[in-house]
Amino acid sequence: MRMGTQSRQYSFAASAIPLTLLAVFVVLSVSQPANALPAFARKYGLRCSACHESWPMLNYFGQKFKDNGYQLMNDRDAPIWQNASYWPITLRMTPFWSRESTSKAAVDTAPTGEQRMTTTGFNLSGLDILTGGTLEKNFSFLLVPSADEEGAFHFESVNVRFDNLFKSPWLNVKVGKFELDSFISEKRTLTLSESGGEFQLFHFIPVGDGNIFGQVGDNQIGAEWMGHSGNDRTRLSAAVFSSTDGNVDVPYGQNSYTGFFAGSQAFSTGKLGVQRIGGYAMYGVAPTTYLTSGGVPLPGSGIGNKSFSRVGFEGLFYLGPHLDFQVFTQHGEDSAWFGACYGEIMAGTCPDTNNNTTGILPAGARNPTWNGAFVETHYVYSPQLTIFQRSEWVRMSQQAFATNPSNLGDIDNYVVGYRYNPFMTSRAGFAFHNEYSWIRQRGTSPVTGTDLSSNSLLLGFDFDF
Amino acid sequence: MKNLQKLAAVLMAVMVVLCGALLLTHEVSAASEGKISGTVKYEGTPPHMRGIDMSKDPYCAKANASTSPHMENVVVGSGGGLENVVLYISEGLSGAALSQPATNVPVFDQKNCEYTPHVLAMDVGQTFKVTTSDQTAHNIHPNPNPMTGNIPWNQSQPPGAPPVEKSWKAPEMIEVKCNIHPWMHGWFAVVKGPYATTDANGNYTISNVPPGNYTVTAWQETLGTQTAKVTVSGAAPAKADFTFKGK
Amino acid sequence: MRITLHKSLLCTAAVVMVFPLASLAQQTKADFEARIGMESHIGHVTGHAKSAQYDYRRYCVGCHGDRGDGMGENFPWVDPKPRDFQLGIFKCRSTPTGTLPTDQDLSDTIGRGLDRSNMPPWNVFTDQQKADLVAWVKHFSPRFASEKPGTPIQIPAEPEVTADRIKAGREVFARVQCWKCHGVTGEANGPSASTLQDDLGRPIAAFNFTEGSRPKCGSSDQDLYRIFMTGLDGTPMPSFADNIKPDEAWDLVFYLRTLMSEPSKEKAIAKQLGLKPVDTNAPAQPSGQQ
Repeated sequence: MRMGTQSRQYSFAASAIPLTLLAVFVVLSVSQPANALPAFARKYGLRCSACHESWPMLNYFGQKFKDNGYQLMNDRDAPIWQNASYWPITLRMTPFWSRESTSKAAVDTAPTGEQRMTTTGFNLSGLDILTGGTLEKNFSFLLVPSADEEGAFHFESVNVRFDNLFKSPWLNVKVGKFELDSFISEKRTLTLSESGGEFQLFHFIPVGDGNIFGQVGDNQIGAEWMGHSGNDRTRLSAAVFSSTDGNVDVPYGQNSYTGFFAGSQAFSTGKLGVQRIGGYAMYGVAPTTYLTSGGVPLPGSGIGNKSFSRVGFEGLFYLGPHLDFQVFTQHGEDSAWFGACYGEIMAGTCPDTNNNTTGILPAGARNPTWNGAFVETHYVYSPQLTIFQRSEWVRMSQQAFATNPSNLGDIDNYVVGYRYNPFMTSRAGFAFHNEYSWIRQRGTSPVTGTDLSSNSLLLGFDFDF
Repeated sequence: MKNLQKLAAVLMAVMVVLCGALLLTHEVSAASEGKISGTVKYEGTPPHMRGIDMSKDPYCAKANASTSPHMENVVVGSGGGLENVVLYISEGLSGAALSQPATNVPVFDQKNCEYTPHVLAMDVGQTFKVTTSDQTAHNIHPNPNPMTGNIPWNQSQPPGAPPVEKSWKAPEMIEVKCNIHPWMHGWFAVVKGPYATTDANGNYTISNVPPGNYTVTAWQETLGTQTAKVTVSGAAPAKADFTFKGK
Repeated sequence: MRITLHKSLLCTAAVVMVFPLASLAQQTKADFEARIGMESHIGHVTGHAKSAQYDYRRYCVGCHGDRGDGMGENFPWVDPKPRDFQLGIFKCRSTPTGTLPTDQDLSDTIGRGLDRSNMPPWNVFTDQQKADLVAWVKHFSPRFASEKPGTPIQIPAEPEVTADRIKAGREVFARVQCWKCHGVTGEANGPSASTLQDDLGRPIAAFNFTEGSRPKCGSSDQDLYRIFMTGLDGTPMPSFADNIKPDEAWDLVFYLRTLMSEPSKEKAIAKQLGLKPVDTNAPAQPSGQQ
């Protein structure tokens, strides 16, 4: 799932390739590796609702638990206190029925080469095997082997954490492959559907852009420092990682690293609850030139590092215990070299020009820039029933080439649904999930290059144990 | 839960009717104070009382070096008299006799790492005193059911500590323990109205009982309760003897 | 009318048998509802029991149970067992043994959690949330409807740590015989440690000072002072309020610090003095402190 998002698949340059079909079928996965761990619930005897506002979205207490390195800090975190038969493993899967409809699929029989295509059917998500917990007081790990729906595994998360170094909550370090530290987490989103499951801003790449490295939603491989106040009101983090978008065995370039910084502050507003505001900034460099062999770029040989950045605001606002709003914004900018489709060698969206061998920027190329935001609302009727919506907009403010339509690649995405847990214990999670989403991206239909929209209706059973 | 409540209510109602029919209550006429006396016997072979190993506290072990300390759950005298049985008037007392708790202050002493007496009877609201004669630390830890209105507490009494003075709010048989010396085990028998405790021969006398008809209850910590009807007429003490049968 | 012994016996036995049933039934939903107007007052915050229902269900019910009796679904797996709120007996209080805690005490316990139990620190809650939960916790027990909390014990200002005070604290430790349970070195290995039971007859461990753990009811000097002066109700830890004078209590706090593993001024002084653990074979010191 990580490898393909709508914004990336519908590439202008690749319009001749019937990627739409691929997008519908290949990417039809609702696997959202998330740290909803009944293994933790079993360990501590807490119900899902103690840590999750609505599983898998964390509440404040769950966030603090995670920030402490999966520790409640009650001196009973180390596994030595557990029953010897306790094993920190959680399995998560989602069988579902869905209806997927896209307005313009490339088909040979249609006069324009495009026509609406709608499919319905039963399907499975991939499987997440979530294991995590403390190895010893202040030493913890998270290991998430994750399979797609056909059983092909990858390692979604692999990291070890060292917490409360020198007995300070301000000194926590993790190393490995991990989720970037944003308190609004796509890994724990409530949304599951094909066109509404992911946060578009977490994976946005302008049409024709060759930079896959700036996706804040993808787990990255590196090291991170985290610090927080005792009650987690203040949170800070700084990470440095290879610009590989979390892909293993492909050190794309030489000295190409990305930094990610996030911070937030929460404050109590009496009966309304605890509000949290914060921001994040990502700045990185990635190569645009590779040695080739038989015309194929060699991973690891990358040079010609060019930069990209993402900055934004995050907020989580409560109006009492039942209603909250998550707000997330982004201002993104890629180097003009990426805008001209240099540098990307994995997804094949820039087949002809991925190698900046000339050292000359194409005429008129500019830094693609954009702004975006989403607002996600949760109405938590009870710990067992949550109704949610998300509205997300991405608007290009500068195209890489002036010849592009100014709105090329703009996204509008709306999701609405509910999630109902018929029971809630500290042993397992089960949710009945019903969701509808609609997305439109400007000028990205496969043949005519006009607006492409699709919608999903999903009825699923999300369970983990 | 609701069903349980209903059941309890119905059972209680039935009980009240039955008991009312069975047990005739009489007006207590205000007159000179009488007495109820008698003997409580134990029939059968007294149960074996487990010995106590006090070696964990050298002071206690030394204090009991010449005796062999044992549990005191059932103490039977030479003539078959049962000691430490609490006798009290469970029915028939009217307002005046109930409203005034006794004014004497019974003493519960911690001596040679045992409670003396083993069972301390007292009236609701009557002040009692816990003292220590030992040169080792105790904690005095009665454990009533707070639902009755009696609240558990736990106080230390190191050597030479001043007495603890307390009282209880509701009738209840309250177990007393010392966590430091787990063998230490006694009772506060809190009852309403006049009471008595049997001596080593099983004899008792309840004083200050106005003339009238009463139900006397004998309570023994492991053998349970027995009741008897008596009439106190003023002159000679009313007699009520009890016999607890061994199992 | 003559009443035979066996009839009255039958009657008494029946009453005795039904009474516990009745008292159990006493704690019904209806009773809780009658107390749902319970409030708490902590500083300038007023908590309302009613407002805590959502949070209680979300965070607490798995252990403490719908009726607050500590019989939630996790009861069999949790040790120490969850608190039974219906009894109104609490470990961590600023009030004397046998009395109800203050609202502030309960709020502090929620925020602090209870180390070495499954109760985590809920310090992410707002003061309002904690106040509401305190009111909700209180509504489970009829005691809070009929009794007032005890008067908090007075804690005098903390004096300067001196070598003399630490030595005096060691004498207090010996005199009141803390070591009977906690051991002479504070390792919870005193002669009585292995037989300790809580009020429900379940095994319970004395606090081990040397492990680096935090005491259950707080780890500040004031907290330590409070712990031994009030006792932890429901546990074997008694109140020493009648046997340790306020000034001596500070001495004892300083001595306890020397047993703990965390570096402290007290520990440094003890090392300098070459302070040895108390000698349990020495003849018991008569108190002389009355």
